[in-house]
Amino acid sequence: MAIIEAAGLRKVFRSLERRPGIWGAVGALFSRTYVDKVAVDDVSFSLEPGELVGYIGPNGAGKSTTIKMLTGILVPTGGLVRVAGIVPHAQRMMNAANIGVVFGQRSQLYWDLPLRESFELLRSIYDIPRARYLENMRHFAAILDLDRFLATPVRQLSLGERMRGDFAAAMLHDPKIVYLDEPTIGLDVVAKEAIREFIGSVNRNRGTTVILTTHDLADVERLSRRIILIDEGVVIYDGSLERLREEYGTHRTLVVNLAESYPEFAVLGTELESREQNMVRLRFNRRELTAEALIRRVTERYQITDVSIIEPDIESIVRRIYLEGYHEGTVGAPS
Amino acid sequence: MTAAPEIIVRPRFRLEPYVQFAQKAMAREATYRFDVFTSVASVLVRVYLLRMVWVALYARNAAPSELPLHAIITYSTVALLMGLVMDIDQTRQLHDKLHSGSIATDFMKPIIVPLYFFADGSGEVLFHAALIVPSLLLALFIVHIDVPNAFVLAAFFVSFFLGYLVGFCINFILNCVAFWTLEIHAVQLIVTWVTDLFGGEIIPLVIFPVFLQKIAFVLPFAAMFSTPLLIYVGVIRPERYAAAIGLQAFWLAVLAGIATLMWRAGAKRVIVQGG
Amino acid sequence: MKHLRVMLGVYQQYWRINILTTLEYRENFLLWFGFTFVYHGSAIAALWIVLNRFPSMNGWTFRDMAFLYGLWMVAHALHNTFFSTVGDIPEHIRDGEFDRLLVRPLDTLFQAIATPGQVFPDELILAIITLAAATWYSGVQVDATFLIFVPLIVAGGALIDLAFNLFISTVAFWFVRVDALRWIVIQLEQEFTRYPISIYSRGVRLLLTFVVPFAFMNYFPARYFLHKAHEGAVLPAGAGLLTPVIGIVFVALAYVFWRIGLNRYSGVGH
Repeated sequence: MAIIEAAGLRKVFRSLERRPGIWGAVGALFSRTYVDKVAVDDVSFSLEPGELVGYIGPNGAGKSTTIKMLTGILVPTGGLVRVAGIVPHAQRMMNAANIGVVFGQRSQLYWDLPLRESFELLRSIYDIPRARYLENMRHFAAILDLDRFLATPVRQLSLGERMRGDFAAAMLHDPKIVYLDEPTIGLDVVAKEAIREFIGSVNRNRGTTVILTTHDLADVERLSRRIILIDEGVVIYDGSLERLREEYGTHRTLVVNLAESYPEFAVLGTELESREQNMVRLRFNRRELTAEALIRRVTERYQITDVSIIEPDIESIVRRIYLEGYHEGTVGAPS
Repeated sequence: MTAAPEIIVRPRFRLEPYVQFAQKAMAREATYRFDVFTSVASVLVRVYLLRMVWVALYARNAAPSELPLHAIITYSTVALLMGLVMDIDQTRQLHDKLHSGSIATDFMKPIIVPLYFFADGSGEVLFHAALIVPSLLLALFIVHIDVPNAFVLAAFFVSFFLGYLVGFCINFILNCVAFWTLEIHAVQLIVTWVTDLFGGEIIPLVIFPVFLQKIAFVLPFAAMFSTPLLIYVGVIRPERYAAAIGLQAFWLAVLAGIATLMWRAGAKRVIVQGG
Repeated sequence: MKHLRVMLGVYQQYWRINILTTLEYRENFLLWFGFTFVYHGSAIAALWIVLNRFPSMNGWTFRDMAFLYGLWMVAHALHNTFFSTVGDIPEHIRDGEFDRLLVRPLDTLFQAIATPGQVFPDELILAIITLAAATWYSGVQVDATFLIFVPLIVAGGALIDLAFNLFISTVAFWFVRVDALRWIVIQLEQEFTRYPISIYSRGVRLLLTFVVPFAFMNYFPARYFLHKAHEGAVLPAGAGLLTPVIGIVFVALAYVFWRIGLNRYSGVGH
């Protein structure tokens, strides 16, 4: 029995068309024309309890709009959505009791007071029985190492500490589903790892369903097996990360700093992406050519001072998918 | 270790940059449409309110001989219109920049910083001054305003200008306090309310009980509103113009002096401390 | 009813956190107090100065006006102490904090009201002192009616304030920036309630009685307790006692508008 069901979800934003200049403004007084923006066109997916899914896509793809519909903030223009058997926007409060949300960029903690006070307030908001509350607090404090700064005012916490506090806050009421929006943004490597560890353990040990929205592919790689990729309001991929990488993440870029300006610089098996004086970017297909072999090819003929490899990020993968179209079931994609 | 440098003033003075600052400030003000709307609306609302207040008060009480009803209504209305221009803190940029630390970069530019503030504030003020015209026209639907003869009007404008400068200096001095302590908002507001009362903007000083009048006329705040307004409505007669305007000029000199001293001391502090 | 119990518990916590936060910033207390004192003080001083020279305003003396001011001040201070958070709603809509309230299992307006922050008691304390002093000074009879109704009246006045605060904040669902509107309404309230509304023209009097009933915050109650003659007034002498009812009615209206705005927020999107 799926815990989250979205079928044909659609959201259209209607806004007044703004016409430029004074005459445009005057004209707008007499006749109003609207502009429809389709943020989410036709999104369908279903999640089983205990799944951990990465929900990714470029900016403006419709990710946050979808999440808002799942969390009950927004009413869909069309389609169906059910979360734990409830229609979120129709029964907002009941849905709210089942979910936890972490906004990476905004905290739900109270700035001026010790962290502990925020938890106390949340306990009363979610009506958590005392015993359960204490148990959860103990548990999270242990995993997230909160005891050190439970008494510190939130405004004095570092970003990593604050995020850990936000996570505990979101999980305090044992939600069935947790929505994480950019949870590791701005964190250092150590803190990121701690957060990922926490998310993973919560998902494994408590069976909490997790939807993770992020631009950091490493988060997704580390935690989830399933990715839902959305672009321009439509789900264009719903499957495993490996397969996605396999098919579309085949290209890499080698950045080389040449020691001299070789006027006729060319390397077999690569595509010249750009050249700025002595810095060259070469695009290659990693299935055809390993990085090691390529570097050897370059250094055989040219002197270099520096080299680095750029992995395809989610933006470039999506761009490729958009440009070339998603070919389902094709392993060894056209390059 | 070298001594702290004196503020360097470029020998050749150019007006253009300051004119440009003023123009920029005007353009900036014009973008705050809502502020424009609220300024004008609030003036008109208060014009109406004060008119009704004076009418009610004059109905049942002995009127002051030097200030009949039509004169006091004129006084209030003109005061409110003046307020459009006077109630702006032209030098709040100083405080803002001290707060953000960007004052240091201003010192590095080849401009006289106080003059920059004046130019910028003037731009803002000129824009608001332009608002006086529509406000005045709309106000005429609500009240009748006396218009004195040309000579009196001229004296009024001279006095108004001096009053504006006095207000500028007071704002400047207040903002200079920010060199030493950044939390000046509350103090500023308190000073504003006190000056409102003793400046003669809300209530003509001649209405005050005598003992308060004595205090009020001695303070510089009266130079901001009361003097020009009393000239306008004729309470200050032409033979006393020289004395009244002279007093304004005196206050201006004193305040400008204090402002300069505070500025020098504060600027030194910034340069020594590095912003 | 479980819901009500939860709300009471949260409200308790909210005040606990308010107190803790305010104590955290207690060095500001003197500043805020000075602020409040000068603000209200200069208003009353201005009234005194004017009425010293013109002792009667439509039959109202300074003593009467002090009582008028005191009634308004307490109602306003009550609102600022308990409901000022409603005024922060537009900002939260703008910066996205409002969405946070929608994913919690509680009524959104309640959560908006119960948003913790600094709450200094200076204005309320000063207001109560002022009203007490003005009551004594104006010679109002402190009988059973007074003792029963005045608390109800100032509470009703606070509700009238809340109604308009909520109304303006709701407008933010349509027009994100409501500062200008808020400013105008505040000015209307503060300046026009200083004086007995009998000095205004008929249109303004009707406006302040039936449309934007600030006259019920202090004028009608003061008129009742001071036994002022109601020359050509629209409402009978006892109207001042109806303030609590007016307050409740207008809050209800504002709440209906709020729900409409909330629906729009979720439906039309942002």
